Amino acid sequence: MHIDELERYWLIAVSVTLGVFTAALLASVFIFGVRLPSPVGRIDPTNLENTEFAEPGLRDMGDGQYTAHIVAQMWNFMPREIRVPVGSEVLFNVTSRDITHGFFIEAHNANLMLLPGQIAQVRVTFDRPGEFHIICHEYCGPGHQNMFGVIIVEDPATAGITE
Amino acid sequence: MQAVQSPQRSSAPVVFPRVGMLTSERWLIGVHVMSALFALSIGILMGPFQTFRRAPAFVQAFPDWQIPVFSYYYQALTMHGVMNALFFTTFFIVGFSYFVTQRSLQRPINQTMGWIAFVLMFIGLGLILYAIWTNQANVLYTFYSPMLAHPTFYLGLVLLAVGSWVAGAAIFMAYIAWKKEHPGERVPLAVFAILVNQIMWQICTLGVAIEILVLLLPASLGFLFVTDVQVGRALFWFFGHPLVYFWLIPAYVSWYTMLPTQAGGKLFSDSLGRVAFLMLLIFSLPVGVHHLYADPGVSAVSKGIHTVLTFVVAIPSFMTAFNVGASLEYAARKRGARGPLSWLFHQKWGDPVVVAQLGGMILFIMGGFSGLINASLTLNIALHNTAWIPGHFHMTLGGAVTLTYIGITYWLLPMLRGRALYSDKMALAQVWTWVVGMLIFGHGMGTAGIAGAPRRTDLGAVPYLNDTMIFWLNSSAIGGFVLLISSILLYVNIVGTLAFSTKPYDYEPPIAHRGDPNSPLWLERWGLWIGITLFLILIAWAPVFVESLNFVDGFNAPFFDPARPSPITP
Ligand code: HEM
Ligand SMILES: [Cu+2]
Repeated sequence: MHIDELERYWLIAVSVTLGVFTAALLASVFIFGVRLPSPVGRIDPTNLENTEFAEPGLRDMGDGQYTAHIVAQMWNFMPREIRVPVGSEVLFNVTSRDITHGFFIEAHNANLMLLPGQIAQVRVTFDRPGEFHIICHEYCGPGHQNMFGVIIVEDPATAGITE
Repeated sequence: MQAVQSPQRSSAPVVFPRVGMLTSERWLIGVHVMSALFALSIGILMGPFQTFRRAPAFVQAFPDWQIPVFSYYYQALTMHGVMNALFFTTFFIVGFSYFVTQRSLQRPINQTMGWIAFVLMFIGLGLILYAIWTNQANVLYTFYSPMLAHPTFYLGLVLLAVGSWVAGAAIFMAYIAWKKEHPGERVPLAVFAILVNQIMWQICTLGVAIEILVLLLPASLGFLFVTDVQVGRALFWFFGHPLVYFWLIPAYVSWYTMLPTQAGGKLFSDSLGRVAFLMLLIFSLPVGVHHLYADPGVSAVSKGIHTVLTFVVAIPSFMTAFNVGASLEYAARKRGARGPLSWLFHQKWGDPVVVAQLGGMILFIMGGFSGLINASLTLNIALHNTAWIPGHFHMTLGGAVTLTYIGITYWLLPMLRGRALYSDKMALAQVWTWVVGMLIFGHGMGTAGIAGAPRRTDLGAVPYLNDTMIFWLNSSAIGGFVLLISSILLYVNIVGTLAFSTKPYDYEPPIAHRGDPNSPLWLERWGLWIGITLFLILIAWAPVFVESLNFVDGFNAPFFDPARPSPITP
């Protein structure tokens, strides 16, 4: 098969570039530890009362570590609001009680699909004070646009004074 | 009289008129093109109004204002996705594939099968319109379980798929009959690509067929009450990624086999075109997990495998850029372009058929690069399900594919009608407003998405928007307005051509009757390529289904009507 010389150079250049991209991506996940959502466990969505999701909310694990259990349902997150001090690292365990929802934390690279029957997990460090929304970004019925939560990251120096 | 109507004799070769059409051809292709344009007219109308509903400035100015006809946002969005992405495309692709196959091989496809296929798909269209119109299918065009729609919605999809299978079978039969009479000859490149497209389609639709026939349809009929949502998503995206190449390949057929002649030159390399199409067949199926990067039930290893293959499937598009670019350069130099880059500007800017395709390519450059960004599994964490994603695929599907189909319509519709296009000037204005509108719209959506604005959301009045999102959502509505003007120009021209054009039709579509004798014959060893494809599917998808299929504690999610937060019980 005849391949024009210029086209051969083009093909080599394209393949090398894409190869480098791919290698960089795989390295970021498998060597440098960028975490992708991956299986952590299944759950019965009709029976969340008898699981770790029975009482959703934030648990202080000490040392600036927190674990948050969040249940998504049509059309809110439970709990709706979470407060943590600046610098906390929060392990979110999230699941859906009914249909598919999304879990997106503004400005923090947390982006999960929430499927009934699956537990989704993401670890997030909050190193800036402020209010960050949790947005449901998968269509989930007529109330979808009202489905959001908020994470309030407090600066210990000023926290308490305003309240 | 043309004696080719009867199916018994339909395998006999015929000579098609160069300018003008046989009656049988006119009817069969005409009904497909008209159905496609009908579906597009409904779908496209929703688009600009979606951008208005998503723009806070607009919603503040007109708080009570709703989308016309389909007042409910998610009903309109379902209509937009289903009509544009599923029905417009499939009708157009089937009609165009028949046209190209019949003319290139100089033999009609089996008329009985062609009409059966059409009737099935058309009933499908009617059922789906009923389901969405009556508010019983607000599930968007991805219809993720465990949301349920009315059975007519799923039946409509099944009929669309089955119809397209019959159409594909008719095309294969024409090819096999041609091959018997032309041993040792290369099939024309256009037919080669259409065969690739149909083979890919027959394989990938199996995924969605299983999802619908085993899970969704029984549930909506009241026979099944639990499902596994992750499995459903995997089945859908097994189909969903090849789907985008199903749209793209017919546009490539036009770019490779028609545009070079239309632009005044010839194709640079026939054989590398074939290689590019084969790569699309082989690598478009084992990449679907790149739509599931954010899913909890698929392992990082599967995501990694599909990432690598996704980057491979980008190669044929880069090959196309070179091959088509070189052909355009050749055409321009023949007309006197001198400087190293002046060929880019020496194109036939007065011909709407050419300009629509070049406009599609301009948008495709944006679409291609934003696609490589999505495909990067770590960058995708920042972008998945944000407005960036529709920003991206309106460059590819809404840009390259739709504009190329519009370019084809600008010669095919006049040919069907037997009259020239109503207005070339209006067509040129339509193309440029489409390009500019899409760029403004896509840029707004993309930037709002990077700031975190979600997709698939009636966004104009939600409290969580920040200033960046608000600014760019408003800007994308300006793009939507320009696109509304463009759509009106398109349909005025279509109606004008059908009803008011008086100029005679005198355009001969560029069709080749044989392939380049220098391209290797082994490229047509279909058994081999299908074998490799199936093997890659096995490697790439088996782990995904093994990970997610668990009948014991997997199938435990009850179904829901999207409007009600309580499960559907027996
Ligand atoms: C008139 C020009 C168009 C405009 C202004 C437009 C606008 C939009 C907007 C704003 C969305 C996102 C809505 C949301 O996520 O909430 C959208 C989604 C979509 N559009 Fe378009 N669109 C246009 C043309 C097209 C065309 C020509 C096609 C395909 C042939 C198309 C296919 C789609 C698809 C598949 C979706 C995704 C629907 C979903 O997420 O369920 N659009 N469009
Ligand atoms: Cu939701």
